[in-house]
Amino acid sequence: MAISPRSLHTVAAAALLGLGLSVSTPSQALPISECIAPADPGGGWDFTCRSVGKLLYDLDLVDNPVKVVNMPGGVGAVAFSNVAGKRADDSDLIVATSTVGITQIAQGRYPGGVDTMRWLGMLGTDVGVVLVDDDSPYQSLDGLLEAMVDDPSSVVMAGSSGVGGWDHIRALMLAEAAGLPDDQIGSVRWVQFDGGGPAVTQMMGGHVDAVSTDLGEIAGFIKSGDVRVLAVLADKPLAPPFEDLPTAVSQGYDVTGYNWRGFYTGGDVSDADYQSMVDTLKTLYDSPEWKQVAERNGLVPLWRGGDEFNTFVRDTADKVESISREIGVIQ
Amino acid sequence: MDILGFLLHGFAVALEPQNLFLALIGCAVGTLIGALPGLGPVNGVALLIPLAFNFGLSPTAALILLVSVYYGTMYGGRISSIVLNIPGDEPAMMTTLDGYPMALKGRGGEALGLSAVASFVGATVATIGLTLFAPLLVGFAIRFGPAEYFALFMLAFATIGGVTSGSFTKSLLAACLGLLLGTVGLDPASGVSRYTFGWYELYDGIDFIAALVGLFAISECLLFLEDRHQTTGASRELGSAIPGMRRAGACKATIARGSLIGFIAGVLPGAGASLGSFLSYTLEKRWLGRQGDFGNGDPRGVAAPEAGNNAAAGGALIPMLSLGIPGSGTTAILLALLLSMNITPGPLLFDQQPDMVWGLVAALFIGNVMLLVLNVPLVGLFARVLRAPSWLLMPVVILVAFVGVYSLNNSPFDLYVMLAFGVLGYGLRKLHMPAVPVVLGLLLGGEMEFNLRRALAISGGDWSILVGSGISVGIYAFAATLMVAGLVYAWWVRRTPDAG
Amino acid sequence: MTADVSPPSSHASALGDRIAGAVLVLLAVAAWWHARTFVTGFRQAVGPDVFPRLVCVPLGLLALYLLIRPGINARWPGRAALLRQAGLLVLLGGYATFLEPWGFLPATLVGSVLLMRLFDAAWRQALASGASLTVILYLLFEFALGIPLPDIPGLGV
Repeated sequence: MAISPRSLHTVAAAALLGLGLSVSTPSQALPISECIAPADPGGGWDFTCRSVGKLLYDLDLVDNPVKVVNMPGGVGAVAFSNVAGKRADDSDLIVATSTVGITQIAQGRYPGGVDTMRWLGMLGTDVGVVLVDDDSPYQSLDGLLEAMVDDPSSVVMAGSSGVGGWDHIRALMLAEAAGLPDDQIGSVRWVQFDGGGPAVTQMMGGHVDAVSTDLGEIAGFIKSGDVRVLAVLADKPLAPPFEDLPTAVSQGYDVTGYNWRGFYTGGDVSDADYQSMVDTLKTLYDSPEWKQVAERNGLVPLWRGGDEFNTFVRDTADKVESISREIGVIQ
Repeated sequence: MDILGFLLHGFAVALEPQNLFLALIGCAVGTLIGALPGLGPVNGVALLIPLAFNFGLSPTAALILLVSVYYGTMYGGRISSIVLNIPGDEPAMMTTLDGYPMALKGRGGEALGLSAVASFVGATVATIGLTLFAPLLVGFAIRFGPAEYFALFMLAFATIGGVTSGSFTKSLLAACLGLLLGTVGLDPASGVSRYTFGWYELYDGIDFIAALVGLFAISECLLFLEDRHQTTGASRELGSAIPGMRRAGACKATIARGSLIGFIAGVLPGAGASLGSFLSYTLEKRWLGRQGDFGNGDPRGVAAPEAGNNAAAGGALIPMLSLGIPGSGTTAILLALLLSMNITPGPLLFDQQPDMVWGLVAALFIGNVMLLVLNVPLVGLFARVLRAPSWLLMPVVILVAFVGVYSLNNSPFDLYVMLAFGVLGYGLRKLHMPAVPVVLGLLLGGEMEFNLRRALAISGGDWSILVGSGISVGIYAFAATLMVAGLVYAWWVRRTPDAG
Repeated sequence: MTADVSPPSSHASALGDRIAGAVLVLLAVAAWWHARTFVTGFRQAVGPDVFPRLVCVPLGLLALYLLIRPGINARWPGRAALLRQAGLLVLLGGYATFLEPWGFLPATLVGSVLLMRLFDAAWRQALASGASLTVILYLLFEFALGIPLPDIPGLGV
């Protein structure tokens, strides 16, 4: 279709427009030249890649714009298997991931375990919330959890992950902390929607009772007063404007549930290259620009990198694996 | 009136020369991307977001650029649907049903012109609806729970016999096949993999762009290779777009009905633009009955889905802006765009940032007008493409489709999927079984299943929840009426051989 | 049924429907049977196996109906046409296979030239158009649209 002279003009115009964006003249391997977003354009992982990729270039941490490659499939499994198989020693490649990806690994849904990859660092985190409609009968976390313990099937909960996904597991961790016996934990009704927003809307329509999801996705509903937040799953109260939201910890339930955003790279990347990638990301994290981008998107800037992050990822995976076993998501 | 003031301000901004220029560029680039088989609105907008940042455009200017790209890609998809029988994206699929037969009759230019006008009207209706009724419609939309959505999908499949003039059994069979193929992949609700046989590439299900391009483009080429002496299908002359624009007057009732149905489908976040164009087409076919000649190049068969498609796209902005819920892939991208510009769609957006909302509405309107104007010269351009010899045209279409589909996921696997669907599509054509229901099953099956399961998860396994509300009972009653009417009509046509 | 009402190929046509019906019945049965492997540890009101099975029922029944009461089909192609069609599929399959190992430029050049030959272009036309198409597509995707295509190994283009 691009044969006729007229459309060539269009191509030329588009090419001219695109110059600033994608002049990818080949050169020697630079620290980071490609970011794989293991999802379709528009999602959280895609955002992580695009915003970090853009900042790396804007801050002159890399010489050429970072290529963003979308590789959706199996909640990240396709990208994981691709990197493990073909790009394990590629020192210019980073892959976006989050707690959701670690949950998948812990439940054996990726072709390989945590040690297949080298974990670079996390740059920010979203935090879990449990909320109800503003005219719901549940006034506090105690009220909701008591009703659940009395009759687990009396409360319909919803979120953006499937059964055994991070939203569901966070809700069940609360129920467990409130004293719901292990053998009844499977009776809690869980409904999955395509995101936190749809789940909250369905709750406002009276179709479900409570929602467990990430704060960033539904912050607008909190500000507008359409919903009542029963608990945020953070260690300490959040920064303004959410400083008044009660934590679960302050109400006597020792449960936290973050959803961080970060990156991994192939397992065969050398120590020196790995360290230089971690340093690059740390520099990016320290910039005021990143803080701005993160906050704008409902993330709390939070850094864990290098070996500390590796250990953290392993611990999270172990924790998720054990609770998944308890609730019967994996055998 | 406050809203009117903001809207006028939005238009004043959108009409600045720089912004008009951006709209022009956006429409042209978008049309190009949309006309490439495999690339659609989602890719177009996603790819250009970084561009908007690179130029340091103001939020309104960036919105105008991207919204123009969005409309351009929708229009581009329409061009390949009508001219080559290859839908560029899912909502454009219904346009092939009558658009391509029109092109075969040498009325392709007319079809393109008509579709531009119908889209324009559809989008305008949606814009007006958005301006007047947004808060009211939000209240209506949240009353739709999983059970109500399931009823809506049942309605879609109850009308599937209306897709083509072929056998009802075969249409339904094709739909069932599509629904079954739609279950392939990782079940998001439980994480269990279904019919994937160990292939990670299938975990996200069958990519429906790959399936769509395979079913339409590859099968077209296979058919062509049977008899190399026939023409490429479409008549070499497209004609002018002007008569089509005039013809739109004759279709005004169709366009009005299509716009209304599409708008309602768009407002419901679980339904989306595909369902909007689909229902507009089938319901219009039912409405016209014997007066219509759908499937054989009836201009109303182009007008209805085009109006519906664009009205749905506009309507989908209501849940996107006021609830932060994207109703389609494209609104998801627009949502990401707004977020990256520090605008959080949600219940407060209309109150807190009205200039943004109405700027967007104005941008949509400008993009629409721009396309209507661009349409006339574009028809000439595409007529020239059609005059290319088939040894050039067919390989170019195939390769563009290949690269387009490959670039979606960077996966050669999708190319094999596309080939397999090409063979399937060829077989379906030989069996006189329509391909459209297969894609619809693939496309809508997932949401249909999840809403069924959500409803039953809420009720704890009690199936009576499906008929537990007035809305769902009403939808089922409507579906049953249509189904019975369809059967009676078919029986009546058979009794009177001179009909239809 | 008289000879002038039914065209000579009508037997083969009905056969097409019958074969399709049989294949789809088998598919429905196999899909139903395979759904037994969709098990979760967690109790759900509707498990992952229910919907596929719900679809298999009408699929199987309608396919059975098609098997018993076939409709009309189009004419199937002769041997020469079948060979050309097989050629197209092999060529495109090969292109998909070699796209990543060879890189975009060589794979597309070879693919487009052969494809044009298959559609009866002369060698010279095919070579010239194939080369320009390859370059245009490369520029369009790599630069104008900013979508990276597979590089030639070791060359970075």
